[in-house]
Amino acid sequence: MSATGHKTWPKLTNRDEFRFLADLVLKHSTGDHTLVSLHDQQSGTTRFANNQIVQNVDTRRGSLHVTVAFGLRHGTAGTTDFTAGAVQETVARAVQIAHLSPDDPEYLPPVEPQQYMTPPTTRAETVIAGPARRLEYANEAIGQCRMENLEAAGIVSSSVATVGVAASTGLFAHEERTDARYSLTVQAGEATGWGAAAHRSIDHLRVQERTLTAIEKAKRGLEVRELPQGRYTVILEPAAVAGLWSSLLWTLDAKSYEKGTSAFSSKLGQPIVDKRLTLRNLPAHEDLLGIGFTSDGLPTVASDWISEGRLTQLVYDRFTAKRRGIDTIPTLDAPFLSGGGSSLPTLQELIKGTARAILVTNFWYIRTVNPTDLTLTGMTRDGTFLVENGAIVSAVKNFRFHESPLRVFNRIEAFTSPTEAITSETGKLLVPAMTLRDFNFSSVTRF
Amino acid sequence: MSAPNWDEFAELALKRVVASGAEYGDIRLLDSTAQTIRGEDRRIDSIRETQDRGFGIRVLYHGAWGFAASSVLSLEEVPRVAELAIEIAKGSASVASEKVKLADEPVHRDRVVTAPRIDPFAVALERKTALLLETMEYVHRQPGIVRSSASLWARQDRKLFVSTEGSRLEFDLLALSGDFDATAVHDGRFASRSFNTPHLRMGYELIENANFLAEAPRIASQAVEKVKAPTTEPGLYDLVLDPEHLSLTMHESCGHPSELDRALGYEANYAGTSFLTTDKRGTFQYGSPHVNLVADNCEPETLAATGYDDDGVACQRWDIVRDGIFIGYCTNREVAPKIGATRSHGSNRADGWGSVPIVRIANIGLEPGVATLDELLADVKRGIYIEGHGSYSIDQRRYNFQFGGDAFWKIENGKRTHMVRDVVYHGITPEFWGSCDGVADRSHRRRYGFITCGKGQPAQSGWMTHAASHARFRNVNVIGGQAGS
Repeated sequence: MSATGHKTWPKLTNRDEFRFLADLVLKHSTGDHTLVSLHDQQSGTTRFANNQIVQNVDTRRGSLHVTVAFGLRHGTAGTTDFTAGAVQETVARAVQIAHLSPDDPEYLPPVEPQQYMTPPTTRAETVIAGPARRLEYANEAIGQCRMENLEAAGIVSSSVATVGVAASTGLFAHEERTDARYSLTVQAGEATGWGAAAHRSIDHLRVQERTLTAIEKAKRGLEVRELPQGRYTVILEPAAVAGLWSSLLWTLDAKSYEKGTSAFSSKLGQPIVDKRLTLRNLPAHEDLLGIGFTSDGLPTVASDWISEGRLTQLVYDRFTAKRRGIDTIPTLDAPFLSGGGSSLPTLQELIKGTARAILVTNFWYIRTVNPTDLTLTGMTRDGTFLVENGAIVSAVKNFRFHESPLRVFNRIEAFTSPTEAITSETGKLLVPAMTLRDFNFSSVTRF
Repeated sequence: MSAPNWDEFAELALKRVVASGAEYGDIRLLDSTAQTIRGEDRRIDSIRETQDRGFGIRVLYHGAWGFAASSVLSLEEVPRVAELAIEIAKGSASVASEKVKLADEPVHRDRVVTAPRIDPFAVALERKTALLLETMEYVHRQPGIVRSSASLWARQDRKLFVSTEGSRLEFDLLALSGDFDATAVHDGRFASRSFNTPHLRMGYELIENANFLAEAPRIASQAVEKVKAPTTEPGLYDLVLDPEHLSLTMHESCGHPSELDRALGYEANYAGTSFLTTDKRGTFQYGSPHVNLVADNCEPETLAATGYDDDGVACQRWDIVRDGIFIGYCTNREVAPKIGATRSHGSNRADGWGSVPIVRIANIGLEPGVATLDELLADVKRGIYIEGHGSYSIDQRRYNFQFGGDAFWKIENGKRTHMVRDVVYHGITPEFWGSCDGVADRSHRRRYGFITCGKGQPAQSGWMTHAASHARFRNVNVIGGQAGS
């Protein structure tokens, strides 16, 4: 299916057209091996702030990359011009680069043809959504905030892309991927509240529900108190949990592990977090953004990464995987974190069962401070509250934290079932909200 | 195949914009070529050369914006995209309650060109890969080194900007950088030390002058010294910060808060707002009297010195902070009138043809003082000297920050003594800059650039250069790199 839903959209490169382009590349390549990658996307974003539309954009970008190898020498050239002449020039440039490259002892030829599952990567309602639909959602958020005399800032975006990989080995993969996003920051004077969503389907953004949540958080923030830095029990909403887990997942690469430059060195097979936690990759999950194949043309797979607290998997490049005798390279495109045993049904139940804690809506600007033990820093943002005796009693000024997920996810008190989570700094995950003890808030900011 | 006629495209697009009744429109056509060579652990991991062509059309209709862009450069696609931009602008206008009014700007017709001494794209690939391989070999000669990386990056942007007001600006710009790093392990820990050229609008002479091979042994040896160095006791220290380190501190704690769109709430949902609210302009004590921060988009070779921004506004030089007082913002034609300014400072930039321009940090630099580096150090009893970039994080209004660094030395009784590790300092922006009591003179001034400054939704990468001489800060809270243990 090609993306022709909206009347003003151009047709994205469909399977047959990609096969034609790939054949053109392969015909003109003189390399021992050739890999062709396609990414052709139509995307639009309606952005608003101060209850006004401040940016309203729509971009079509197609790109084709060609990697050519002679023995262990390889080079890549790319273009956004799909005309036959430009494609041939791109192939010629890749050939030229490969000829001039030194041997790369880790180079591997493209993979052989693969069998792919077909995860639900595209939704028709997102394909046909255009500027009008995005504007409709933006107006809904602005209207709700205006009624409350609050200020809305946020985005509604939708995109459709066709993605392909083909190679001289006979490898061929092509799929359509849609993506819809909504995020909103509500300002009530100095206070802010936030909510966000990402889904393959624009119908699943739950704009009204998330708008009301952000409004409620902003209004609760009007009365704010300052608490001192220190260690607190925290209730992390799913977005905050996702922020810490994303930082953990980004550092799981096998090569660093082998070289001793990873926080996980010697920890494969060992417990790294609370034994109730299990992390899996579920590309076929309807609420995750799984894909059918990687940029190498390898199929994505359902896999276990952390099993009952034990690290069971690493992120492998093809060379390291081959050296380690790993035939099926696990992927991490659709992370699903769940807790075993008894989970509470909702965030509200977590709050109800807590004597005193800081409730964190989201973290911001998370960065690694110490890569050896994965100590991270970051700020709380857009809704930080004091919980006492099972209820939110006030907003508190935002904290900076210094913590390692390898420490803090061993201090779990309670958790919910997995919930959709997305932040401006993470991909989409399904994770529980969690209550954690002794979380290190190292300083307080001015608001 | 003949090259596309960009003027023909521009005329075709802007005729449609004018006919729609829009009050303003512009088109940017770009042809960018980027070459990236990356090495890792004594091998060349990747050589990529990409050509990125496309155009973006911006329309202001009844005080509201629309923007559409495409990588399909054809006489059929340009009208389609122009009509889409108009349609989107009309949609925005249908719900606008406050109309955008652009600050006036003279019509410009000009051509801006980077004139390199050595064209980086003409330098043989073999020479570049040999440099990176040899650099990594030098790094690995140092016992204790387990990993290395090295890279070269160059980009050429050919651009045409044409507006309905009559401006026509041609650009042929280069940017270049190179870097390498070394990672050492010791006693279950690992640490990296890096060497970076600035990102500048120069030719390959930038790389030649950087002399990677001469620097590699020093960097490798310092990586080993760093991983073995004693940890740092938390507490209050005087800090002497080198220009590369300061480039990031200035960027995060001065650059971003001085973006007027942030102060006005445009970035509230993503990059954040600013503690430098408009009521503070002209009166707020941002730093000590030693602190003079100047935006200079006219300094040759710097990233934001492009002649004109993506509003077609001529590049300028202006004060951000003068004698410690907050004075001015980075602005574009849309937001400048909101604080009563009659002209934009020319800080509106897009990261490519497919992005709409937004307010960007200018080339903000710390003006030199009068001291030498030795004089700054001499007056420190218990302090830390910091070079380069490390971990960094700051809140969304740019008050509470935390910075690490790439290398740290203890200062004891006026002398740099030995390396230490795990240094992270924390502060509140105006208190930190208020503690600055000395800046080194112009002979110490260095420039460092950024090409990955994240802002906007969809996210864009901003480019700018920050220059500084060394500066000293008193009684800064060093919390240590294992603050959470």
